[in-house]
Amino acid sequence: MWAIFKKEVSVFFLTPFGYIFIGMFLLLSGIVFSFYNLAGSRADILGMLGVMNFVSIVIFPVLTMKLLAEEKKMATDQLLFTAPVKISSIILGKYLAAFFVFLVALAATGIFVVFILIYGKTSTGAIVGSYLGFLLLGAAYIAICLFASSLTENQVTSALAGFGFLFGFMLMGLLSNSIPSEFLKGIVKWLSILNKYEEFTNGILKISPLVYYLSFAFLFVFFTIRVVENRQSKREG
Amino acid sequence: MPETERTVSFRNDITAKKVIRGCIELIEVKNLTKRYGNMRGVTDLNFTVEKGEVLGFLGPNGAGKSTTMNIITGYKPPTEGSVVIDGFDITRNPIEAKKRIGYLPEQPPIYPELSVMSYLKFVCELKGVEKTKIMPHIHEIMELVGIYDHRNRLIKNLSKGYKQRTGLAQALVSNPDVLVLDEPTVGLDPKQITEIRTLIKNLGRDHTIILSSHILAEISMICERVIIINKGEIAAIDTPKNLAKNIMASERFLTRIKGPKERVIQMIKNIDGVQNVKEMRLEEESETGFYGYIVENEKNADVKTPLFLAMARNGYIIHELRSLDVSLEDIFLQVTSEENENAEVH
Repeated sequence: MWAIFKKEVSVFFLTPFGYIFIGMFLLLSGIVFSFYNLAGSRADILGMLGVMNFVSIVIFPVLTMKLLAEEKKMATDQLLFTAPVKISSIILGKYLAAFFVFLVALAATGIFVVFILIYGKTSTGAIVGSYLGFLLLGAAYIAICLFASSLTENQVTSALAGFGFLFGFMLMGLLSNSIPSEFLKGIVKWLSILNKYEEFTNGILKISPLVYYLSFAFLFVFFTIRVVENRQSKREG
Repeated sequence: MPETERTVSFRNDITAKKVIRGCIELIEVKNLTKRYGNMRGVTDLNFTVEKGEVLGFLGPNGAGKSTTMNIITGYKPPTEGSVVIDGFDITRNPIEAKKRIGYLPEQPPIYPELSVMSYLKFVCELKGVEKTKIMPHIHEIMELVGIYDHRNRLIKNLSKGYKQRTGLAQALVSNPDVLVLDEPTVGLDPKQITEIRTLIKNLGRDHTIILSSHILAEISMICERVIIINKGEIAAIDTPKNLAKNIMASERFLTRIKGPKERVIQMIKNIDGVQNVKEMRLEEESETGFYGYIVENEKNADVKTPLFLAMARNGYIIHELRSLDVSLEDIFLQVTSEENENAEVH
């Protein structure tokens, strides 16, 4: 698993892709920070992360689209799947690598926090909460996108599928209010991944959203493993 | 002649090894069948490979060579049948079986962004080579396949031959007993082909190797036993010598001659030992007056000298006179036509 993790991370930073990804991430968050925090003279980091939330439905599919599709294209999956390792550790290694890159990108936005702490007054709890929430949200999003990319062998399709999944989960939150059945509304609301995020932003750390996001991530990584395992053991084709 | 000496000692190694390990079956393939939907990949393959043996897989493109190799290495599961590597079933006990196999697929599984060194390091970690042993192990392998001088180059900048070597190096990581090499020389230039063949030959000293190719000469040079596979079925299993000797009854050569077609054909047919003359279409024939012929003659009969003399006497110019190797296609035609004849008898 760590072999895959190390390989993925080093490939990521050996190619322009990694730098472009982090560059785009910082550019977008920088623009939001400039307009919302600097021009709007607001001291909460929440706004920036909130907007990044919406942008992330584009960012994460791009981050994960290469992970599985590229191996297939370069025929390097023949090395991975004939090596004496379990498919689960291959997938887990890839998932953790994508998460690590996201972590690096997110850590780089810390510079904005420094500005806010120096020139503004804000609650540290809210900042920590927002970051933790975004991190967990990212963990869930990456798992969903990884799953999407396991369904296809093409990078573009993979990115589009990931985008579709995330967009769908986001829409659930908006649409849930117009569902007449209370029962269905409850389910859809529960599935709406963004709703829980708000609980972090007020600086109160609760255990339930933490568990919620982690189980989301776990579930979709598990689905990915099952999909790949199933494909590799298909007796026909 | 140091080269011959080496070959001789290599042969001795094999016989010595045979005496010791001869009866141990390292790979056992039983009733192996793979279907792709309604399409047949391979059907009911049965064979064993002894420890230390170099086995060749011969067949045209699409015959099922790669499919078989993908199943043996555990990349794809069989529809029916089993593959047992050193006592471990590849579908029931994949981790243990895979530990014993090094696989070089048709397209080397390399990451273009990595350097040779970091790539091999990754493969070592992937295959679970002990951390302290990784560096000496990599160095040894790089020396062996001749990529040590290129160890710090990115794989994408390597020539095709060196990419192939890197792929081979990857298969050697963790020193597996069995090497499965799928068309290791395809697409290389003649010099690289010779180098890779020599390398594989040397590896045959202490590895069990399954090698696929569609070039008969290659197989006969490296392998001790050959499986001819056609349309997903085994058409013949034998030593390369026996295959070439028993299956082909005649030799062929190609020639290009300027002169009246009918007359030239008649003249060639009159030569002793000629069995058949066929005209071969040439693109430029109408302008130049040259016609191409494929002459089939009895084994060991010298037809070329009388042909040359006869043409010279008549002032017909010979532009080309070239032996055609016994090609896989010939053997196939032979093998399949035999099967057809048998079928007609029944």
